[in-house]
Amino acid sequence: MDQQELHRWEGRCIQEEPPACRAGCPLGVDGRLFSQAMKRHDLAAARLVLEKSMPLAGIVGRLCEAPCEGFCIRKDFGGAVALGDLERYCLGAGPGRGKGLRLPGRDKRVAVLGGGPSGLVAAFELARKGYPVDLYHLGAQPGGWLRTLPETRLPAAVLDEELRFLHSLGVTFHAVPDLDPGLPALAGTEACYLGRDGDGAIALLATLSAPDEVTFALERPGTFAGGIAAGDHPQRLILSVSQGREAAVSIDRYLQGASLTASRVLLRHGRTELYTDTTAVTPQPRVAAAGHGGYSGDEATREASRCLHCQCLECVKHCVYLAEYGAYPKVYARRIYNNSAIVKGIHQANRFINGCSLCDQCRALCPNDFSMAELCLDARRQMVREKRMPPSAHWFAISEMRAAASETALIRHAPAQKTSRWLFFPGCQLAGIRPAQTLALYRHLLALDDRTGLWLDCCGAPAHWAGREEELAAMLARLKALWQEMGEPPVLVACSSCRKLFGEQLPEVTTVSLWSYLRHKPLPPARATTVPLAISDPCSARHDTETRQAVRDLAAAIGQELSPLAMSGELTECCGYGGLMDNADPALAAKVARARAAQSEAPLLTYCAMCRDRLATTGQMTLHLLDLLFPGDADAASLPPASLSSRREGRRSLAADAGRLHGEEPAGGGRPGDDLLLAIAADVAARLEERRILVEDIRHVLSAAGRSSSFTHRGSRRRLAAGRRGEVTFWVSYRLEGSVHHIDGAWSHRMTIGTEDGP
Amino acid sequence: MKLSFIPEDMDWVCEPCGLALQPGMAELFYLGNVFRVELPMCPGCGAVLIGEELATGKMLQVEQLLEDK
Repeated sequence: MDQQELHRWEGRCIQEEPPACRAGCPLGVDGRLFSQAMKRHDLAAARLVLEKSMPLAGIVGRLCEAPCEGFCIRKDFGGAVALGDLERYCLGAGPGRGKGLRLPGRDKRVAVLGGGPSGLVAAFELARKGYPVDLYHLGAQPGGWLRTLPETRLPAAVLDEELRFLHSLGVTFHAVPDLDPGLPALAGTEACYLGRDGDGAIALLATLSAPDEVTFALERPGTFAGGIAAGDHPQRLILSVSQGREAAVSIDRYLQGASLTASRVLLRHGRTELYTDTTAVTPQPRVAAAGHGGYSGDEATREASRCLHCQCLECVKHCVYLAEYGAYPKVYARRIYNNSAIVKGIHQANRFINGCSLCDQCRALCPNDFSMAELCLDARRQMVREKRMPPSAHWFAISEMRAAASETALIRHAPAQKTSRWLFFPGCQLAGIRPAQTLALYRHLLALDDRTGLWLDCCGAPAHWAGREEELAAMLARLKALWQEMGEPPVLVACSSCRKLFGEQLPEVTTVSLWSYLRHKPLPPARATTVPLAISDPCSARHDTETRQAVRDLAAAIGQELSPLAMSGELTECCGYGGLMDNADPALAAKVARARAAQSEAPLLTYCAMCRDRLATTGQMTLHLLDLLFPGDADAASLPPASLSSRREGRRSLAADAGRLHGEEPAGGGRPGDDLLLAIAADVAARLEERRILVEDIRHVLSAAGRSSSFTHRGSRRRLAAGRRGEVTFWVSYRLEGSVHHIDGAWSHRMTIGTEDGP
Repeated sequence: MKLSFIPEDMDWVCEPCGLALQPGMAELFYLGNVFRVELPMCPGCGAVLIGEELATGKMLQVEQLLEDK
C-alpha cells in the first residue's frame, strides 16, 4: 500500500465526517461534542468546544440563530436538539472566556472598516494570527447594531469584555466620522476588510461591488468585504460572522502571497457523508424551558441528552474484531499502513492484520463499501511477499491444508463408472468433522445419479486467507488438472467457502451448490426437530443467494420450523474460523463465536461444518443441516465438536471408506507410532487441543523415544521425549505402564537447538 | 548476562546414554537469531531438555517477539 492507496482507503471510511449539526454550522461548531459536554454538565468543556470554532463566543454564542438545528438528525424524532438555547445557557452559567492565544507578531498591517459583528470577527481572526489590526468604526464604541440589543440578549458587559479581549490581541480601535474606503489612514495598510453589516454599512455599501462568494475578495486587490446588511435577515449574525472569518482567511492568504482558493477548506452548507442509523431512535420531545430566562441546569442537561451522538460505526457495532481494537476502519487503514512501513522495530499490527475473519460483513454494512477483508488480505499478501509474515500465524491451518491435499486426498469416478456427470466435493472440514455423514450423503448422491464421482481435497482457502499467493496458485493448478482429468464435470460443492473460492479463483470450474442440487431431488427420510431453529448462514454464503434460499427450502421441505436471526443472509457473521482468525488469535475467535451464538435464543442450524462445531463449542445447541437430512442414532445437537486430531482422523477414515467403495484397501505400513497404546485424560487432551498438538504428533515423538532426545526422571520414572515435525519441536511427557503410554502433558516450540536445521 | 534455565529438579537421565543431565550451554536458533542459554544437557550426546514452563513461557514470548520484528 502506498500513500495514495492509504488515502483512498481512509477516504472511504466516513466515521470522521462531521455530524450534520457541525456540517450545517457556518462556523463549523461541533454541536455533537458540545452536547456531550453539556450532557455531563461540564460547562467549562462545553465552552471550550464553542471557543474552538466560534470567534468571540461570548457574543456569537448568545446571538447565534442556530442554523445547525435545521440539519440535526433528531429533528424528525421530537425536534432538533436546542443547540442555540444550550449555547446561551452555557455562556450564561458557565465560566468566562479562556485565554486567547496569539501567534508571533507580523509586520503587515490590516485595516477593518466597520465595527459590526463581521468586522469584529475579521479583526479577531487576523489579530490571532499576529497581524496588527486597525478597526475603524462610527460612534464612540465599536459594535454597530450589537449595541442596540437589549441587555437580556447581549449584556453590555459581555460586549465590552470581548472588545477588551480584542484589544489585548492587538486590535486598535479608531472612532471615525464616516467609513470611507478612501480613508487616508488606509494608505499604510496592506489589506483591508469592509464590513457591510457595520454601523455605516448603508453608506459604505453604495461604494462596493459584490464580493466573491467564497473568498469575499473585491475587485481591487487586497480589499475584502462581508457581512449581512439587511436587519431582518433570519441569520444575520451567524452569516456575518462566518463571512468575516472567511474574509480573514483570504486576507491571511493574500498577505502571505498564497492562492486564495487552493486547498481551501470550504464551508459545507450542511453537506456531510456521515451516516447515522436511526432505526432504533424513538421520538423524544424537546425540553421546554420553564422560566423566561432560558434553560435551568437540569433542563439543559436533559435537552443535551437528546443528542443522538451521530456517528456511523455501522461495521464496528456488529463486528467483535473491529470493536476489539477500539477504533474504526479509517484508523485501522493507517495502522496497517504504518505496520508495513516499519523497517526496524516491532510490527505491532501483525496480530491485528491476521485477526480479521475476512468475512466482509463490514463491506455489506458500510454505506461506502469499506472492506477490512480486502485491506487485511492485501496486507497479508504483502507480508508474505516481503517474508515478514510470522511463521506461526497460520502454521497449523496450512499444515492441515497440506495434509488434506495430499495424504487424505482422493478423486474417483463413481464405482464401476469411467466418466462422471457430477463430482461431489465435500470440502476438508465436513469430511473431517462428519466423515460418516459425508459418506451417507455420498451414497445418497450415488442413488440419485450413479455417475457421481467423489473428490476429497482441500480447495486452498487456507492458503488464500493466509495471503500465500504462490502456494494458492500451486493448489489451484493441481486442482484444475485433476478436474480436467476427470472430464471437467460440474462440481457439487457442500462448503460455502470452497464454492466461493472456486468461483473467485477457478471460474472455469462449474460449481453447483450441493444444497441447491438436493433441493430439486427426492430427499432421504429426514427428521425435523420439534423446536424452531435459527439459520446461521456461513459468512462465505453472504453473496450466495441461491444456496441460502435452497437451505431454507430444504428446511421447509422436511417440515423444519425456522426462527428468525437478525444478522443473517447478506449480513451474516463469521463463527471465528474464517480468514484463519482462530489460528492467528484464538482468544478473539472464541469471543466471536460466543457473540454469534448469543444472538439467538433458538438453537442454531447451519450448513457449514466448521460453523457448526465452533458455535457448538460455545454451549449453544447447534445442528448441521446434514443432522436433519441424515439423522444418525446419536443426538446430533449434543455431539461434541470434533477435536483437531479426530478431524484429521476423520478425513483419513473417509478416504479409506471411499477407497473401499472401489475395492481399494488402504496402503499398509501405517505411520510411525500407530501401534503404540496411548492413554490421554480429558484435561490433557484439552490442553493438547489448545496447543494444536495432534495425537499423531505424540505418536511420532514416541515412536523415536529412547533413541534420541529422551529422558527419564530417576525419582518418578516420568519420561520426556522430543521430536521435530516440520517447523515445530514437540515434547511429550508420559509414564509407561506395561505397554501403555500414559500421556500427562505435551508442549512445543519453534526454536531449534544446537543448529539451525534442528536437533 | 548469562541466560540460565536450570530447573530445581535436575534428577533427569539421558535415556540413550544413561548419564545424568548437567547444566550446559546450548544454542537456540530462531529466524536467524541465536541465543546462548544454559540448559539441562546430557554430558555424553549433548541432548538438551526443554521443560514445559520454558517452552510455553519465555521461549514462546521470544519466538513471538522475533516473528513480529
